[in-house]
Amino acid sequence: MTRDLRNLAVFLTAVAALGAFLPGVHLLTLNQHLFLAANVLALNFCLGLGGQASMATGAFCGLGAYASVILHGLWPEGTLLIVPGVALVAFFCAYWVSKPLEKLGEGFLAMATLCLCLIFVNLVLTFSSVTGGSNGMMVQTAPTLPFIGELKGDRANFAALLVLIALGGYLFCALRDSRLGRALLACKDDALAASSCGIDRVSTRALSFGVGGALSALAGMVLANSTGFISPGQFDLGLSLKTLLFLVIGGPGRLIRPLLAVLVLESLLAWFHALGEATVLVHGLILTTALVAGYWRETGRLRLLPR
Amino acid sequence: MLALYLAQAINSGLALGAVYGLMALGFSLVYNSSRLINFAQGELLLLGGLVLYSLSQAFALGPVTALLATGFFGFALGHILYATTMGVMLTAQPLRQLMLTVAASLVWQGAAILIWGKNPVKLDQFVALPPLRLGPLFLGGNTVTSLTLAVASVVILSGFLTLTRTGRAIRAVSMNALAARLQGVNPVRAQALSFALSGMLAALAAMAVGPQTMLRYDMGFGLGLKGFVAATLGGYSSLSKVFAGGLVLGVIEACLTLAFSADLKETLTYSLLVALLVLAPIQQGRRQKV
Repeated sequence: MTRDLRNLAVFLTAVAALGAFLPGVHLLTLNQHLFLAANVLALNFCLGLGGQASMATGAFCGLGAYASVILHGLWPEGTLLIVPGVALVAFFCAYWVSKPLEKLGEGFLAMATLCLCLIFVNLVLTFSSVTGGSNGMMVQTAPTLPFIGELKGDRANFAALLVLIALGGYLFCALRDSRLGRALLACKDDALAASSCGIDRVSTRALSFGVGGALSALAGMVLANSTGFISPGQFDLGLSLKTLLFLVIGGPGRLIRPLLAVLVLESLLAWFHALGEATVLVHGLILTTALVAGYWRETGRLRLLPR
Repeated sequence: MLALYLAQAINSGLALGAVYGLMALGFSLVYNSSRLINFAQGELLLLGGLVLYSLSQAFALGPVTALLATGFFGFALGHILYATTMGVMLTAQPLRQLMLTVAASLVWQGAAILIWGKNPVKLDQFVALPPLRLGPLFLGGNTVTSLTLAVASVVILSGFLTLTRTGRAIRAVSMNALAARLQGVNPVRAQALSFALSGMLAALAAMAVGPQTMLRYDMGFGLGLKGFVAATLGGYSSLSKVFAGGLVLGVIEACLTLAFSADLKETLTYSLLVALLVLAPIQQGRRQKV
């Protein structure tokens, strides 16, 4: 067992212990944080391993949520096929979207994927007969698993999110330590040198993009089940920006720190939600401070923070 | 009937296109000098417009004083944005710098909410020009004003970048920062000046868009993004092409609104950007540095 996996186990045990004692309302908040953490982990496949800054998290997450709700409405007993099926569709969507975008640099890739996120939200709004448009959709049927039954209630969704993060974390470590992971890291460090060594850059990076997209879609499915209602606003640009921000603050390529950054910063942001009109300003200041502090820590200008 | 609708679409498209063009110029100035995509460009427009609104409430501003005040405060805001983003993290990874502009846009939007509230405010038309008829084409007063402001800005900016020593320094840094440094140009100063100039352009864009659509705390991001689309359409390299990109985008958007719903129009606009990014022949090396 690697050090990262041990740390992940400790992290998840601590969160599970926290969740076991939290009352309903607070557990719902924790679920929201964990949902964001799952998305940060998904983005870590693209950025941390492949070096591709994506802002399409919202789109893949929304794809998972909407597809799951619509398909469960049509076939309530089909969870065992719907969940992996939707994840697979999200994987291939992300895989094929990534291929033509691979040649773009970080900034342009971020803007292109940001547009994908906006396109998804606008398509949801346009096809309101299927998606409910701006009014959103009620989740009529909860996923049902054999031996477990219906995944209903905050505790069940909390457990589902923990399992998802555990699975994602394990996959992240396994991929990073594999031949494919080393190829991805090579593409991230020096794309030209990686190509010179015979690595098929486009396909390799598309794979990490696909895995990230699938994980986001799974997180979206759990979110839909957790909130009981989905609307385009839940999967808009805010989600993608937040995800990328937290990953950059936590450190792309690391496993635990981005997850911790989500929990700590999201709790802090939620704490300041009651400030009324000053909320946006305070949120911006917190994120700015976190970014600048991270930079100073990296450059050794802030000796007090652990490197 | 169709010709009438089309003429109306071109009129409104050019009015908004002039604003997109100014935003695109700001984007490309910052991008060329520092290889940074400035997410807070829209907030420069917002705050520039809101400061002008407050000034107009406190003093009776004429066209010249309004223009001077817009230019001055836009320049100052751009400089402040540089000092609080790029200036703080000069050697940071590009992605961290990009994210800092995202956080800065939140801070600036938050400041706008705190000072001016969430209700939209209407900016007076300080430079009111008469409507213009060009054959079948009718350009309203707002369109003529926006176009005049924008074209004048492009001409002055072009003259500044071509004819002055400081302008040539900015262009030198855009072409090759290391070579410019070896020639005695300070790249950091050139980058700061680019931010300040982009702030000035954004404030002028606010002066053009304020009387048309009013100023709202959450309008910055959308306009900034459209500016980015326009800059990509124009190719980042030439001022006139970038500005033309803004005009083209404005007209395309107006025509799409005529043909489709507003949501589908946005979908098509962003699809156009993705297609452009994938297909446009921007130098690979320049993209890698972003």
